[in-house]
Amino acid sequence: MKKTHIAGIIIIAIAIAAIIGTLSDSSTYANFTEAFDNPSAEFHVVGVLNRDKETVYNPEENPNEFIFYMIDKENVEKKVVLHRTKPQDFERSEQIVIIGKAVEGDFHANQILMKCPSKYNDGSGEFKTPEEHKGTNAAS
Amino acid sequence: MEFVGEHLLIGKIGNFFVIFSFISALLGAISYFFATQKNDNGWKSLGRISFLAHGVGVLGIVSTLFFMIFNQYFEYHYIWQHSSSDLPLRYIFSCFWEGQEGSFLLWAFWHMVLGVIFLFIKNEWEAPVLAVFSLVQVFLISMLLGVYFIDYKIGSNPFTMLLREHPDFMDIPLFSNPNYLENLDGRGLNPLLQNYWMTIHPPTLFLGFASTLMPFAIGIAGLWTGKYKQWLKPAIPWTFFSVLVLGVGVLMGGAWAYEALSFGGFWAWDPVENASLVPWLTLVGAGHLMIVEHKRGGVMKSLLFLTFLTFILVLYSSFLTRSGILGDASVHAFTDLGMSGQLLLYLLTFIAIALFVFVLRYKKLPTNKKEEEFWSREFWMFIGALVLFISSFQITFSTSIPVINKIFGSSLAPPSNAIEHYNTWQAPFAILVLLLMGFSQFLNYKDTPLKTFYGRIIRGLVISAALSIGIGLSLKMFNPFYLFMLFAALFAVFGNLEYWLKFLKGKIRYSGASISHAGFALMMLGTLISMSNQKKISNNTSTYDVSQLGEEFDNKENILLMKGDTLQMGDYYVSYIGKEKQGVNIRYGVDYMTKNENGSYTKEFTLKPQVQLNERMGNVPEPDTRHFLLKDIYSHVTWAVLEDKKEQDSSKVDVQTKNLHVGDTVFLKRSILIIDSLRQTNLSRHAELRSGDIAVEAALTFWDFNTDKHHLFPVFVLRDSSKVFSIPAESEELGVTVSFDRIYPNNGSIDLTFIEKKTDQKEFIVMQAILFPYINLLWLGCIIMAIGLVVSVKNRLSGSKK
Repeated sequence: MKKTHIAGIIIIAIAIAAIIGTLSDSSTYANFTEAFDNPSAEFHVVGVLNRDKETVYNPEENPNEFIFYMIDKENVEKKVVLHRTKPQDFERSEQIVIIGKAVEGDFHANQILMKCPSKYNDGSGEFKTPEEHKGTNAAS
Repeated sequence: MEFVGEHLLIGKIGNFFVIFSFISALLGAISYFFATQKNDNGWKSLGRISFLAHGVGVLGIVSTLFFMIFNQYFEYHYIWQHSSSDLPLRYIFSCFWEGQEGSFLLWAFWHMVLGVIFLFIKNEWEAPVLAVFSLVQVFLISMLLGVYFIDYKIGSNPFTMLLREHPDFMDIPLFSNPNYLENLDGRGLNPLLQNYWMTIHPPTLFLGFASTLMPFAIGIAGLWTGKYKQWLKPAIPWTFFSVLVLGVGVLMGGAWAYEALSFGGFWAWDPVENASLVPWLTLVGAGHLMIVEHKRGGVMKSLLFLTFLTFILVLYSSFLTRSGILGDASVHAFTDLGMSGQLLLYLLTFIAIALFVFVLRYKKLPTNKKEEEFWSREFWMFIGALVLFISSFQITFSTSIPVINKIFGSSLAPPSNAIEHYNTWQAPFAILVLLLMGFSQFLNYKDTPLKTFYGRIIRGLVISAALSIGIGLSLKMFNPFYLFMLFAALFAVFGNLEYWLKFLKGKIRYSGASISHAGFALMMLGTLISMSNQKKISNNTSTYDVSQLGEEFDNKENILLMKGDTLQMGDYYVSYIGKEKQGVNIRYGVDYMTKNENGSYTKEFTLKPQVQLNERMGNVPEPDTRHFLLKDIYSHVTWAVLEDKKEQDSSKVDVQTKNLHVGDTVFLKRSILIIDSLRQTNLSRHAELRSGDIAVEAALTFWDFNTDKHHLFPVFVLRDSSKVFSIPAESEELGVTVSFDRIYPNNGSIDLTFIEKKTDQKEFIVMQAILFPYINLLWLGCIIMAIGLVVSVKNRLSGSKK
């Protein structure tokens, strides 16, 4: 057997290890029910902000904690404790992805991704005359 | 309806150039194909004419589009979407390639330039190489066609897509006005992209992408024409040119991220970053194998594989970023223009071509009967290329999770901590590459007696080992894995320096490899030290304890700074001094001070991280970094109150009215006040007053909790003996507004209304600051690597001419 063949086998072995490693490293998208059924596992949960309930951010007390209520795709609502600063523009978010796990009744997340409405699709609101354009800039 | 003021002719000219360059590319591909197949000069001349015509066409498209941006023809969707009337001229290039169409055009432009250069270097490879180039251009220009083929729209054409005909906008009332152009301004370039990086990064990166076509096309040409080995000679200099430009392009992206985006570093393993890094890795592998094949032979198959793979990975990366498949997984991805089918076809066609040619000629490819020796340079260079391949495989696989989901219908989420995931996997590969870089060149081609080899590397090994222990101790790096990587990087630096000085006698001409290797190793050294020793100095000092939730939620990275307070952060004392608004940016000034022995502070510097009020992307924080020779202090705002709320929201304020006499004391939330006196106001002091008014002011003295004195003078006015009103006085610092509502002449008492902000609404920001030690090593390494590659390309060029 040639040395290059040995090298080849080693390469394939590492490649398989990389695939398995990556798959085991990646979490899965889930809903709250699944996440609360498996409290120790990490999940990505997709949902929307419940705008009827208050969000809590008291940076003076703890700048790294932000609490809100999210409704997942199955219409299950949970209290979410995000261990980060409150994202700028949070109220504008259309869709939220939180990454974390269930800990006693609440969902504790350490990462958040938000999808904000892109102005691209909302038609006429975006049209500005040159005067308006200058106006907004002068005002700012 | 007739619309007034539209410039429809220029669009037709642009569209003509699109069709012209598409057809000429198609003609070029066909002519050059037959020129190669039949070895016929007539076909070849036709091909040449077609490709040059194609060049004229592409230049025509580019100039027309520039002309339209320059003259602000907002009736065109592309121009409206990417520019506006108040955009500074220096961003005109950025407007050009902000959108997908423009970036395709940039890519096609570079292919055209490289193809024309190749055409003018008269050589035997012209026909087959330019046949491949032309075919690539056919696909690229088709992305700009914007025509319907049955029901499928091919490409997106910036010249024919008028704003009023765009499906998103055609129904809006504006377009029922024939003079709509008078009232139209462009949407403007995304403020986030309004910086010089957007001017230099895309053209460099796209030249890098475009240049990977060169080795690919020459390789295909070699197999096609049966010159299985001769193709290497012209391919090698182009390959290293490509390594240089693509490498610089990718690193510029990193520098941009570090300077202007709030990733908290220069590399975040974002899918788009990965997609541009991966072809670079395989290209470097291919380049090294080319040298092995050139000197010794025996690696032709692997080298062809990596060369073809590189270009295919470039196409794949373009598919990933432009098809919308990454969705939310990346900040960079373009919006989907519905061209994913076309992009996929482009990708699959070239996979098919590469596979077909490879399989067809597989049996005829040169091989070495004899196996290479274990202690030979070529063997270890081969291993190096394999390591690079595996490394790129791992990155590609993890980045492709959204694609895997699409194909198999799974719901895998990307690794939640991408940076940790990739670092864990890639660090061992980096160590292997660094070690290989350090010792391989001390091996001769063919075989090396072990004793000689040990003799050559022992000095480098000892020096690097001693230095890594020294550096490790002084920087308190005790993680054995990091220490090993430190050693590997130092060994690569010293090994290459020594090889250059001792074996190459310091000759510049042959120094390319040594210099670029040393540069790469310095880069890794800088990465290792700045990443592993980076310190989040903004530790939250609040007493709130989250540790009962476990380590992973124990986040203390962000610190709250009240305006005027001074907090310790690392070696500094920091103080938030206030915000200022400039255009769309709000800049938050933070003073960094050191404490003197007598307890006073000395200001060292001020950082002004900012938040950009960006309508399109949401509000985006931008960091500010103070650069020192040996460290950087990097900081960004993670939360702040963006706007001053001038209007007083009733839920946020307390209102109380009190009946008081002169000399009374009032306790407020943040101050104590005494009414000193009542007196007639000088009418000229307030613009609201006019002659005939009777105006009385209350002189109030406030003491805040620092026992500083403040004075406010609210005014009570009687006009025309019937109308009464108050001119209130406000102190922002004390968070109070006082209005003087009434005077009771019978007992001399007065009514004052106090409007106070409810809680302590003192201004504050939440921010993060990171200290990156020795990050300049990284940038130094980048520059040195680029210099080394320039030397290599020059040397290889003069070598290939001989």
